[in-house]
Amino acid sequence: MSDVPLKNPGWAGNTGEFDLTEEQIRGEDFVGERPLHGGHSSVSATMPYMLIEKNPEAELFEGEYQERLKKILTRYPKKRAALLPVLSMVQELRGHVSPESMDRVAELLDLSPAYVRGVATFYTMYNKRPVGRHLVQVCTNISCNLCGADEVLAAFLECTGTELGETSEDGDFTVIEAECLAACGFPTCVQINSRYFENVTPADIPEIVKHLRAQVKESA
Amino acid sequence: MAELVTLTIDGQEVSVPRGTTILEAAKKIGKQVPHYCYHPGMSSPAMCRLCLVEVEGAPKSMPSCVTAVMEDQIVHTESKQAVGNRAGVLEFYLVNHPLDCPICDMSGECDLQDYVHAEGRAHGRSEEPKRVFGRDDFGGDVLFYGDRCVMCTRCVRFMNEVEQDERLTVVERGNRSVIDTFFEEGLEGTHWHGNIVDICPVGALVSKEFLYKARAWDLEHTPSICPSCSQGCNIELHTRDNLIQRIKPRENLEVNGWWMCDYGRHNHEWMNRGIRLEDPSVRTLDGAAGPMKWRDALEQLLQHVGVMGEGRVKAVATPFASNEDLGTLAELVGALGGGDMVYRSVRVEEEVVLKGFPTLARRKDLAPNTNGAELIGFTRVGDDQAAGGLEDIAKYDGIVIIMGDELSDQAEDFGREAGLFVYLGDQQSPAASNAHFVFPLTTFAEQEGSFTNIARRVQRFSPALEPSGMARPAWLILGALAAELNNGDAPRSAADAFSGLARRVEAFAGLTYQDIGIRGAVVNETYVLSES
Repeated sequence: MSDVPLKNPGWAGNTGEFDLTEEQIRGEDFVGERPLHGGHSSVSATMPYMLIEKNPEAELFEGEYQERLKKILTRYPKKRAALLPVLSMVQELRGHVSPESMDRVAELLDLSPAYVRGVATFYTMYNKRPVGRHLVQVCTNISCNLCGADEVLAAFLECTGTELGETSEDGDFTVIEAECLAACGFPTCVQINSRYFENVTPADIPEIVKHLRAQVKESA
Repeated sequence: MAELVTLTIDGQEVSVPRGTTILEAAKKIGKQVPHYCYHPGMSSPAMCRLCLVEVEGAPKSMPSCVTAVMEDQIVHTESKQAVGNRAGVLEFYLVNHPLDCPICDMSGECDLQDYVHAEGRAHGRSEEPKRVFGRDDFGGDVLFYGDRCVMCTRCVRFMNEVEQDERLTVVERGNRSVIDTFFEEGLEGTHWHGNIVDICPVGALVSKEFLYKARAWDLEHTPSICPSCSQGCNIELHTRDNLIQRIKPRENLEVNGWWMCDYGRHNHEWMNRGIRLEDPSVRTLDGAAGPMKWRDALEQLLQHVGVMGEGRVKAVATPFASNEDLGTLAELVGALGGGDMVYRSVRVEEEVVLKGFPTLARRKDLAPNTNGAELIGFTRVGDDQAAGGLEDIAKYDGIVIIMGDELSDQAEDFGREAGLFVYLGDQQSPAASNAHFVFPLTTFAEQEGSFTNIARRVQRFSPALEPSGMARPAWLILGALAAELNNGDAPRSAADAFSGLARRVEAFAGLTYQDIGIRGAVVNETYVLSES
C-alpha cells in the first residue's frame, strides 16, 4: 500500500475532501463543465448534465442551443435518429421533459407527438416531471440491496424530508430508486446528478446532504 | 403466379407461393395458428410470441407469422413443443389480465378467451398482485381498458401504417407499458379509428357506442353492403331483437380490405327507426286515406293506370334503392309507355381517403347505388343536399311515382295536380299526403338485393331485420305491376328480379346472383369500355 490515502473517486466522505475539483476527481481527461455550445459534435449531447444548472426560463433551441441542435442533426442521416440527444438537451435545460417540450421536439424533428412521448417514456433517465436541484438515485438492485441499499434509501428520504419520487419543499432534493448503476463492486452506489457516490452507508448521508445543501447556497 | 413451394403442416401437404408465411399456409388447410400481433393488413413485428410453431430442423420454435415457407419443410402446430409454448405464453398474458370477462364487451369474440380456453392452464400460478391501469377515454368512439391489453400493438400499427396519423404509441416499458395517445390529444379528428376496435384481439379497445349494448353471442351476423357512400364497403350487420346493434367491416380485398370508415360504421340509427309506413293505403275520392290489403291496393292501382295516357310518367327514385328495385321501377315505367326517371343524392366536397389502403375512401357520393341508378337510366337532378330539381314533377299532371325519396324539401302541395301519384317508401312524408297510393317499402337492411358501387362492382346484401308491418321490397311490388301490364312473369326472388335486370340493361348482361356471390362482380366490361 502506498502512503497516499486511497481516494474513492466519487465520494470524499472518508477523507473529508469535499473541495476536490472535478479534475481531481475525474482525472486529467475531464474537459470540465459542458460548454454552452455543447462541445464537439460527437459529444454534444452525451456529456453529463448537472440539474443544478438547469435553466427553466431559457427558450428551447434558441441561440447557442439552436447551434447545438444543428450540430446534433449533422450526426444522423435522418432527423428521427436525433430524438434521444435532442431530448437530452431538453432535459439539460429544463431538468425534465415536459409534454410541451415533447410537442416542440416532435415539431422540430417532423415526428408525431405521440411517438416522441413513447420514446421519452421508454427511457427512465428522462425525467417526465420536475425534479429537485439534486436528483438522488439510490441503486436498490441486487448487489447494493444485499449491502443495505434499503437503509441508505430510507436515510436519504429522512435526511432530505421527502417522499420517494417527490421533490422536497425547498426544491433541493428528489430521491428515487435506480436499477443497477453498474457499480456493483462498490455498494451501495448512489448517483447524485451526474456523479457517483460509492460505498455509501446510512451513516454518511447527513454529511452528504449537508454538503449538497451548501452547494445550493453557494450557487444562489 | 409465383413459384410454388410444397411443405407439410401437421402431416398435411400444402403448396403455396414462395414467400408465403407458415401462418398463411396453415390457414389454407384450415389450421388457425393462434396469434395476436399478426394482422394480414399490417406489418408483422412477431412480438406476441403466440404463433410459435415447431419446425423440424430449426433449433428453436419459429414465429409462424414471419417465417416464410421452405420446400419440404415439416411444421407442427399441435405438437407438444408448440402447444407447450402457447400454454406458457398464455400464462404470462394472464399475469396482469383482470379476467373481467363477465363485464367485458369483447367476451365471446375474444382471442385471449378462446386461446386460453383451448390451450391454457385452468389456474395461473402467479401470486403477485396485478398491476392496474384503469380505463382511459381515447376520444372519438374508443374507450381503452389498459388492464385487458396484451400489447400486440395492432392499434398502434393501424394508426401508423394504415391511417398514417401516428396518434397512438406505447408509453413506458416492460410491465408498465400501456397504449396511449399524446396526453389529452386523443383520436378526435381521425376518420378510421373505429377499425382499431375491430382489430383489437381482446377487450382493451371497445366502442363507446356499443358499450354494454349486447353480448357477442346474442348477435346475428348478416353479410351486407355499407349504404353510407358509393364505395360499397363489405360489412356485417350485427342484430339483436330485430335492431341493428353495430356494423363491422367484412374482408374484401377488392373493395375495402379489412376496414371501413367511422361515418359508415355509426350511420345505422336510421335503419332502426320505429315510425314507419306499415300498410298499403289508397286515398279514396273524399281524400281520406285508408289501409288496405296489398292485393286490393294493387288491383285498384292497375285500374287507375288503365285510364292514363301512354308515356306520361315521371319517376323519382332514391339511390339508396337496390339495383333490383331500380330495375323493376324502370321496367314499370317502360310498361307504362316510358317517361322521365330521375334521382337525387347527397354529395360532399371531399373524399376521405385511407392513406394506407388508397383504393378505400369515404366517397363524395353519400348513397350506395348512384352508379346503379345511372346504369339503369336514371338521371341526377337537384343540388348536393339532394334538394330541389323536382319543380316540373311537383306540378305534373301525369303519373308521378316516387320511390324512397322522402321529399323532405318539397312543399305540401307536391303532386296535387298529378293524375296518378304513387308513393313508395319506408317513411311517411308530408309531401306525400297527396299521393293516391302509398306503399310501404322495406329498407335495404330488411331485404335482399345488390348495389353497384363507384367502381361499378355489383355486390349483394342479405336481409338482417324483419320487415316492418306489411312493408315489402319494391322489386316485388313493382315487378308484379309490371308483369301484369306486360303479361309477363313477376319476379319471385331478388335473384329473379336481378336476372330480369340483366336481360334488359346491357351493363348487367351476363351477370347472375351466383356470379356475384359474396365477393361481388364488376359489371359487363365491354359496356364500360365502349362508354369510355
